[in-house]
Amino acid sequence: MKAEVGPLPGVAPPRRSQKEATRQRVIAAARDLFDTHGYQGTTIREIARHAGVSVGSVFTTFASKGEILSEVMQARLEPLYAELDRVMPHVRGSTADRLRTMFAVHFEFEAQHVRLFLSHIAAAYDWTLPSAARPYGRTPRLQEVILETLQQGQERGEVRRDVDLQEVVDLLMSAYGWTYRLVITNNADAKGLIAAMDRQIGLIAEGFTPRS
Amino acid sequence: MKHISPTQVAVDTPTRAPTRRALAKQQTRLKVLAAARRLFSEQGYEGATIRDIAAAAGMSTGAVFANFTDKSDLFREIMVDDMEALSAAMRDAATRGRNVEDAVLKIFMAGYTFYKSRLQLARAAFSVSWDKDGGPTLRGISSSTAFQDLFAEQLTAAVERGELSQEAEVKLRSQMLFDAYLSNFPQAIFEGWSLDALQARARDQIRILLAGARRG
Repeated sequence: MKAEVGPLPGVAPPRRSQKEATRQRVIAAARDLFDTHGYQGTTIREIARHAGVSVGSVFTTFASKGEILSEVMQARLEPLYAELDRVMPHVRGSTADRLRTMFAVHFEFEAQHVRLFLSHIAAAYDWTLPSAARPYGRTPRLQEVILETLQQGQERGEVRRDVDLQEVVDLLMSAYGWTYRLVITNNADAKGLIAAMDRQIGLIAEGFTPRS
Repeated sequence: MKHISPTQVAVDTPTRAPTRRALAKQQTRLKVLAAARRLFSEQGYEGATIRDIAAAAGMSTGAVFANFTDKSDLFREIMVDDMEALSAAMRDAATRGRNVEDAVLKIFMAGYTFYKSRLQLARAAFSVSWDKDGGPTLRGISSSTAFQDLFAEQLTAAVERGELSQEAEVKLRSQMLFDAYLSNFPQAIFEGWSLDALQARARDQIRILLAGARRG
């Protein structure tokens, strides 16, 4: 994150902070539009109009629609992980239950703007994205929290020593991502998503729980 | 594999040879489909326009619209063709499995092998499937549920053979196997994973997902 430095009193705002203001306006406008119209339904031109800036100034700040969406999602992660940091230390129960709580926090958070999250997934396959861009499935924080939970489970003897934890992380990540498709097929709300994920976690847990 | 739509079956009765007109129409359809397949692969679903597809097929946009209602109709037709061919290949592969784990792995690999040469088309399909309008369109295709059924059949047979327990939760487990199968496509599309790498990963995924259903 760039440090926010306010302009000196009585001095015209420097170019850089004007640019930063444009950037913030574009991100806010884009967030609303992606959440309403989805990824394919949102254009840079509309984002510019909603933000009250010219199309040209959007392009001087962002290279593409996909990049704007990445920034939108990045900005959302901070409050989500602040919430998770607050909740996780108090969570008790089995490894599976801890994972359930952790994913439930995610679903409740994303369900507030669920179309935004679907846009985020759709953007992963966008042709205009630069090949280096990785918009979805690479959120390192989520993977870290899952891995920590599994490692703690291993210490408590609830997770087998002979399973590759990264593979369990990958399976949980894929279950998490694909569960959102229930929004498209069944119009599922947070409760429906959490219920579906809970069952999948139970099934994956059968795979990592030691045999008695 | 040729896809014959119900409307064509209705028009061409089996006892009568197709008229020259019907043959010409079929030729046109095939030309449009081939051009569309190429453009969707090169430019994605959003990037390919009906106008470009018509030009690539060497005909007017009117001629395209005489055969297909719109772009999504065209895309769906291509997907249906592929899915039918693929589910036949998967079914065939499954019969060669030594046990349930191996049969499921062979189904995964039949899919990755099939799409190895058309990863960009798979990418376009994923893009459409996550779109709020495109998603239901694609998922309404009966053959996409056929994949899930194929996994369910393998698990059910394994329960009957006594390889998996009676409480195998076949429905949930087959859905998760299908999800795991799909979830490896980004690695293939964006990171160029080889078939061997996909197979190693798939084998572990399948093992974890089936572990709880094992007997004893």
